[in-house]
Amino acid sequence: MNKYVHPEMLVTTEWVFQNLGTPGIKLVEVDVDTQAYDAGHIPGAVGFNWQTQLQDQVTRDILDKPAFEALLGGAGISSRDRVVLYGDNNNWFAAYALWLFKIYGHKEVCLMDGGRMKWLNEADRPLTTQVAPVTPTPYSAKAPDASIRARVQEVLKGVRQNLVDVRSIDEFTGRILAPPGLSETAQRAGHIPGAKSVPWSSAVRADGTFKEMDELRHLYFVEAGLEPSLPTIAYCRIGERSSHTWFVLTYLLGLEHVKNYDGSWTEYGSMVGLPIERGADKKIPAATM
Amino acid sequence: MATDERVYDNVLQALPSAENPTPLVRINRLNPVPGFTLFAKLEWMNPFGSVKDRAAWFLLRDMAERGVLTERRGVVEPTSGNTGISMAAMAAVLGFRMRAVVPNRVPLEKKVLLRIAGADLDVVKDALCPSPGMGEGAINLAKTRAKAEGERYAMPNQYENELNAQAHYETTGPELWRQTRGGISHLFVTLGTCGTATGCARFLKEKNPAVKVVAIQPSEGHDVPGLRNVAELQVSRLFSPELLDEILEVDFELAYTGALALARQEGLLAGPSSGLVLEGARRVIERETTGLGVMIFPDNVFKYLSAMVRHLPDLAGGTAP
Repeated sequence: MNKYVHPEMLVTTEWVFQNLGTPGIKLVEVDVDTQAYDAGHIPGAVGFNWQTQLQDQVTRDILDKPAFEALLGGAGISSRDRVVLYGDNNNWFAAYALWLFKIYGHKEVCLMDGGRMKWLNEADRPLTTQVAPVTPTPYSAKAPDASIRARVQEVLKGVRQNLVDVRSIDEFTGRILAPPGLSETAQRAGHIPGAKSVPWSSAVRADGTFKEMDELRHLYFVEAGLEPSLPTIAYCRIGERSSHTWFVLTYLLGLEHVKNYDGSWTEYGSMVGLPIERGADKKIPAATM
Repeated sequence: MATDERVYDNVLQALPSAENPTPLVRINRLNPVPGFTLFAKLEWMNPFGSVKDRAAWFLLRDMAERGVLTERRGVVEPTSGNTGISMAAMAAVLGFRMRAVVPNRVPLEKKVLLRIAGADLDVVKDALCPSPGMGEGAINLAKTRAKAEGERYAMPNQYENELNAQAHYETTGPELWRQTRGGISHLFVTLGTCGTATGCARFLKEKNPAVKVVAIQPSEGHDVPGLRNVAELQVSRLFSPELLDEILEVDFELAYTGALALARQEGLLAGPSSGLVLEGARRVIERETTGLGVMIFPDNVFKYLSAMVRHLPDLAGGTAP
């Protein structure tokens, strides 16, 4: 049995399968690989492109409220719908989209545990290339909730807080700027002073589903040494992997005051004069080395 | 057809077998210990240019015979190039379509060859921040196409299909045994899908349990197309470590210098994976001093010109007026 603090924030692939076509439940696929949706998706799912639809196309920023309303309304999603998000890379951008949904106050939204890969590898789970017909609907978002989004000034505040770097060990130690082949990078390599390294992937099992509550608690509170009573900021490179960890800390472990720093290393590591640390953190969990 | 005279009705008849093996060529100058006899098995002499002809044919023939492939339903397969090139050409001979799904890091030469061979091509971004079990983009996309468009595509899946290893059990293994008159003491192979290592090892060890099978893996973070080190092998269900006597890690840059040495000192225009095998074999030979070893050279250097220049920039010198 799962003992997460907010179990309603996850559904299983079986639950999704049983609820295909149920009115009021909307499936949304968000992938790192933007060609994956077109190649095949869960019947009835709409696809959001993280590069062109989930961020402002001029300013480096999240979608503003009118754009978010247009996106959801255009996809036939109403504010009363229960939205199930899923995607590749163990739900990286699905988690990012969920964070965005929460910024704009969508009430019922959750992740499909295990994401696209789990569905793909299970027998008899259908995929289709057919795009389901959508009836556009008016969507009214809430004012953006800044309490779950960290800006660089908050990272620099110097107050006691948990900083969690969820990138790979090589990015954290400064051996590389970014995983090979990525266009978004930074001027300098390393990590924010004081950050604890807990790579995002430490939170998932080999089948892509989240680890059990006890394992997660041990990982973040014992191995990494986060203090549950302090505010927490998670960051990565552009804010997608850290959304995954933000989700774990907020909904599975139930921490209060967790923020995703979407500027992340591409912002911090490019700013003039900011302090940077390099090298290994003594508290890197052995399992992730 | 007169196969003894190498006259064939179609190119598929030229595929290898114990009676029609790929050549073994003795290594002379680059063998550090003359008392240890070392041969290279030139797999680029296969009709479609690589060791992958063997697995590709077993996989494709099986699907054709079972009626899985039809005029409407072709093949979709994740590949680092060679399997796709072999399969696309074979599919063309049989009248089936082929879609190859390749990671972006695959050399341009291979992508173009796939298109020349008639394959449709999907190129997927390389793994960004991989995590155990996340799978690989090319494999996942090929699975997606086979599942979402089952009426158009069937996926043989060389990473999981036992026929990949069986191809080597039935062809490469018997060839090696016959060509060395049962004298082979060491087999040197690289790892990718692990079909070659597993199939050959299974056959040779049945014949003589004392045969040592040594796998050579490139160092982590490598840039040797088609190869995997053990950390990257979770995608292959054919990896059978119990059949391997040793897994040697070699600095991947030696794949490129080794390939150059093979061309310049032995006249063998071998690709970088062969250069890597050579380096691993040399280390074992220096240690063991006697024996009869065979290295599997998967393909030749022609598909890796851009990679060779990237790693050995001097090669580009003197190529412009």
